[in-house]
Amino acid sequence: MLIAKESHQTTCPYCGVGCGVTAEVDEQGKASVKGREDHPANQGRLCVKGSALHETLDAQNRLLHPQVEGKTTSWDEALDHVAERWKAIVDEHGPDSVAFYLSGQLLTEDYYVANKLMKGFVGTSNIDTNSRLCMASAVVAHKRAFGSDAVPACYEDLENTDVLILVGSNTAYAHPIVYQRIVQAKKERGMKVIVLDPRRTATCDIADLHIALRPGSDAFFFNGLLSYLADHNAIDFDYLHRHCDGFDEALDQAKVQVPDLPSAAAYCDVDEQQLKQAYAWFAEHERVITLFSQGVNQSSSGVDKGNAIINCHLATGKIGRPGSAPFSITGQPNAMGGREVGGLANQFAAHMGFTPDAIERVSDFWQAKNIAKKEGLKAVDMFNAVREGRIKAIWIMATNPVVSMPEANRVKEALEACDLVVVSDCMANTDTAATANVLLPATGWSEKHGTVTNSERCISLQKGFIAAPGEARNDWDIISDFARRLGYGDAFNYTHPVEIFREHAALSGLDNQRDRAFDISAFSDISLDDYEQFEPVRWPVNDANPKGTKRLFEDGHFFTPNRRAKLIPIQARLPMKPPAADELIMNTGRIRDQWHTMTRTGKAPRLLSHIDEPYVQIHPDDARRFRIQQGGLVQLENQQTRYIGRAKLSEDQRRGEVFVPMHWNRVYASRGRADALVNAITDPICGQPEFKHSPVKTRAYQAAWQGLLVCSTEVTPASDYWAKTTLAEGFAYRLADTQQPENWADWLESQFSDIKDWISFQDSEGLAARFAGFSEDGALRCVFIVAQTFADVPADQWLATQLGQVLPVEERFTVLAAQSGDDSLSPGAIICSCFQVGENQIRAAIREGCDSAEALGAQLKCGTNCGSCLPELSALVEQERLQETG
Amino acid sequence: MNEAQPSLVIVGNGMVAGRFLDEVRARDGQPYRITVIGAEPHGSYNRIMLSSVLAKDTTVPAIVQKDHAWYAEHGIEFVSGSAVVAIDRQKQEVETACGQRIYYDELVLATGSRAARIPARNLDLQHIFLFRTIADTHGMMDAAASASSVLVVGGGLLGLEAAYGLAKFGAKVTLVHRSPWLLNRQLDRDAAAMLQNVMSGMGIEFKLSDEVDHFHGESKVEGVTLKSGDTLAIDMAVIATGIKPNAELGIDAGLLGQRAIAVDDFMQTSDPRISAIGECIEHDGQTFGLVDPLWRQAETLAARLVKAERLPFRNQAIATKLKVSGVQVFSAGEVQTREGLRELCLRDDAAHIYRKLLLEDQRIVGIVLFGDVRSGNWYFELMQQQVDVGPLLPTLIYGQEYCPEAA
Repeated sequence: MLIAKESHQTTCPYCGVGCGVTAEVDEQGKASVKGREDHPANQGRLCVKGSALHETLDAQNRLLHPQVEGKTTSWDEALDHVAERWKAIVDEHGPDSVAFYLSGQLLTEDYYVANKLMKGFVGTSNIDTNSRLCMASAVVAHKRAFGSDAVPACYEDLENTDVLILVGSNTAYAHPIVYQRIVQAKKERGMKVIVLDPRRTATCDIADLHIALRPGSDAFFFNGLLSYLADHNAIDFDYLHRHCDGFDEALDQAKVQVPDLPSAAAYCDVDEQQLKQAYAWFAEHERVITLFSQGVNQSSSGVDKGNAIINCHLATGKIGRPGSAPFSITGQPNAMGGREVGGLANQFAAHMGFTPDAIERVSDFWQAKNIAKKEGLKAVDMFNAVREGRIKAIWIMATNPVVSMPEANRVKEALEACDLVVVSDCMANTDTAATANVLLPATGWSEKHGTVTNSERCISLQKGFIAAPGEARNDWDIISDFARRLGYGDAFNYTHPVEIFREHAALSGLDNQRDRAFDISAFSDISLDDYEQFEPVRWPVNDANPKGTKRLFEDGHFFTPNRRAKLIPIQARLPMKPPAADELIMNTGRIRDQWHTMTRTGKAPRLLSHIDEPYVQIHPDDARRFRIQQGGLVQLENQQTRYIGRAKLSEDQRRGEVFVPMHWNRVYASRGRADALVNAITDPICGQPEFKHSPVKTRAYQAAWQGLLVCSTEVTPASDYWAKTTLAEGFAYRLADTQQPENWADWLESQFSDIKDWISFQDSEGLAARFAGFSEDGALRCVFIVAQTFADVPADQWLATQLGQVLPVEERFTVLAAQSGDDSLSPGAIICSCFQVGENQIRAAIREGCDSAEALGAQLKCGTNCGSCLPELSALVEQERLQETG
Repeated sequence: MNEAQPSLVIVGNGMVAGRFLDEVRARDGQPYRITVIGAEPHGSYNRIMLSSVLAKDTTVPAIVQKDHAWYAEHGIEFVSGSAVVAIDRQKQEVETACGQRIYYDELVLATGSRAARIPARNLDLQHIFLFRTIADTHGMMDAAASASSVLVVGGGLLGLEAAYGLAKFGAKVTLVHRSPWLLNRQLDRDAAAMLQNVMSGMGIEFKLSDEVDHFHGESKVEGVTLKSGDTLAIDMAVIATGIKPNAELGIDAGLLGQRAIAVDDFMQTSDPRISAIGECIEHDGQTFGLVDPLWRQAETLAARLVKAERLPFRNQAIATKLKVSGVQVFSAGEVQTREGLRELCLRDDAAHIYRKLLLEDQRIVGIVLFGDVRSGNWYFELMQQQVDVGPLLPTLIYGQEYCPEAA
């Protein structure tokens, strides 16, 4: 296979920044990673998640063999079983009774083969992807304005701009390396940074202006901006005249709704002066970038928001020039690749829609047996169709919709009731895998081999450099094998991803008269060697642009039928469902160190040392209203589902709103699946769900007890609330329940029936009790600590170091102290995950004179690797300064 | 020896007498002609160590602290192997069993205690031992060498140590104890169970909540019947059910006292010429069995007689620190958990470690440590000083090194 003992150039599988990674494998087969120096996205940097990639490569919880109905089978048996059932279902109920649900984690080649099979041979467009949850709004906004789903700018433009507006984007956490580049550029060039976000996020650390606008009011902001630009002589009529249509209608609509600053301020619920400042900067500066992300996209009017942004850039000609563009940044490593392939229900193939020309062209190219001729069902509708029995077979690849979809519990029920659920994944224990009839082991990062495209259209190779464990296979290979069993062998005889890439490249250039932005026809006959050494390049890559294309639309050429960009009249709308009196608005999002549903990042201990539990960030006034204490638990409820998280009181949060992380799944927490509370309200145009705005019933969780369980084996704790973290040698669980078991020892022993050797501490008053269990050879297996309040529950850091240790028998009772006997300071909550520097250490250093993040870095090394914690370091410096002066 | 010096006569030559001699000699003051009269033939020895002798962990010579030569060397007249049978308070004389009469200006009674007997029939059979003296110990060791089944009566410290020592001879040892658990004055039931577990591991069997009804045998003991009706074949028995003050000499001479010879805070009996210290006295209604207060009694008395200093003896609360068959035990204050007390309890059954602290109003009122006693003294200080331990609670039970803020 693709094993070597040298270094490999590959690409990070996490966010849409798409950083180049240099992976090294030593003689023992142990991998290490560092940022690739010559990759345009990151130039040698890596964030904390990327830096920990090699820590997630162990075989724990990997899916290694095919399983049918829980029984391990051969690949032949499993695929025959699927093919037989699939054919029977299609024969009886037609091609629209089956579906593929894909993922932005798949490689472009995987996507291509899946799309080809469904749309060309099975004959349905029921192929959608988790990109629907992420980028669908931006895709449609792009298509409406530019005639093509194309991001105009590149990362360099973020550095070259004069005004950078970040909308609904916590770049510091979600796209750490892009953020680092902005931080550096701001330091060097001093551009203005405006952050539009209801929440004061870590990104606001570099903001000259943070506008904490009303949730979902973004389009009002940009309609107000368009009005302001028109009133302040900032419209570029020359550009409009030469390259755009629709300005008058767009401005008229904006003027009707948001004619002036006071109306904009009222809609957005912010200070008029702040708005005026932001608008003035936009108007006055030559170079402006509006970088937008899920805060814009995940909305019931996400497409319109995207166009409201693009309108302002077109109206001022701030597009197609260095440092000027609307810039949609993607969430996933290969959301863009999926879009290029057309692997979505409302796209056809290779930036083509369902036009008769395109259908004919693609049908010929593929030699298709059953070409699909119309759009299929988008994610939310697709799972509804599963629930209603219209879809009877669904194949889910490399994603975890039981955690990530809105109304995720209904998705779970739908899958449980579905005739045939096939899940191909690299992990065995996902929430979605638990609903599958057939489980197929797929390769993961470091094993699979193919291309991905990042947010700046840059295609890179994600390289296989480690042999796949067990019987895991590449997704393109699994799908091709399946296609052969359906009788389409001729069209799916691929033996290497390069063959698929060539075909994909050829299709992109087929009859492409510069009317499809995506064109990589230069790679139609790429050699295997060139493919294996693929140099990162931004599309289009064709005869006209053989070295790729840094920036689109520089010549004012768009991809609409008349080649002119279109401004769209926007009737701004607030989110669909306002909160009731006893509800708060739940906003969901990423945290710094986790990725998606944690199936990979959850395995790296240091990635759980920054934030180790699901939480609920809430304004102190709301906390008071609901009698919620800092460090207590909060229960949110919607869709007959509960979410329980640790209360984080913070004035960074607007009143009336809470923020919860989107990552936790049932493997890591009992009630941490935030998306199960999200209503399946979608944008009517693109079908993207409104993840950022869910009214939820809120109350303090009445915990009768709080606990910590540290153990060397995985368990499912018998408590209503639990949240798991991974330790170097085991796991830690935070626990709570509204009920107290009658007898702690019995409660514990029922979960560790194999442990016979227990030590205990019990307090006859209050709740304090502690237990430790040892294996027969005397190694520490488990420590359980229960207390009345969370404040009395000790940290797990010291205990983590004791797990698996054989302690001197006369000393071992001291493990119950959960700390070492000397009084050396515990590091506190880990802030710098790279160097494991804790809050206590940092505060101590600040008190001893470190007055900046840089000074802290010089002394403690914190923040000097990935830099992700720099905002928090600065915040700590500031807090200590305030305490000193206050 | 200077005839003009006043005569100080010490009756008894146990541990407290030995200590008293040291205290006298350490003080520069009134000189005395000193006479020590001991019933045993040996010099002063460490009686506590007899258990170790029995367990063959040490030897008799090693535990003798003052041998005959020592008395000679220090100008002390030592009358050994001869008990005092009477005191003539009029004449200020004592009379020994041999008829010798010795004048005193100051008399110190340090007659100690003897092993309590039990109300069981046939207690006089051979190979039934009381465990008190070097002679007892030698007798036990001789008998144990050929014994196959031994009964030990009494589950206090001495009985447990006897059982431990005798088990080492290879005999099957059964210990019968009147209370439901061992060391019932020093330990609670749980800690005692742990102790029993440790000793069971040495092959010792226990009969709790039971007593000897009678022994049987011709001349030598051959069996025992317990009050429960159980009968055991035995060829040796050791009685270690407690001690009884040797107060008769003083009481018969008309000194005041109920259970023992009463003394005031300066160790003076109802006769100003006669003082008493050790296990033969009662102070404030209290008698004594542990060594700590005895040392302070010796000090108080020496200060008064030699320096005419008044250093009142106070019967302070003390912690019991024992080593039972190799296991450390520390207990102080209240031992049994009761209503109204907060109990903090840590246990490691496999390692035989047990810690219990009893709290009232956030103050320690009771300590039981078994197996690991390292923080015993610290807990004891916290208890004595009535320290509010509320702020230390989360880590208090793990010991001083886990409560740096209290240091």
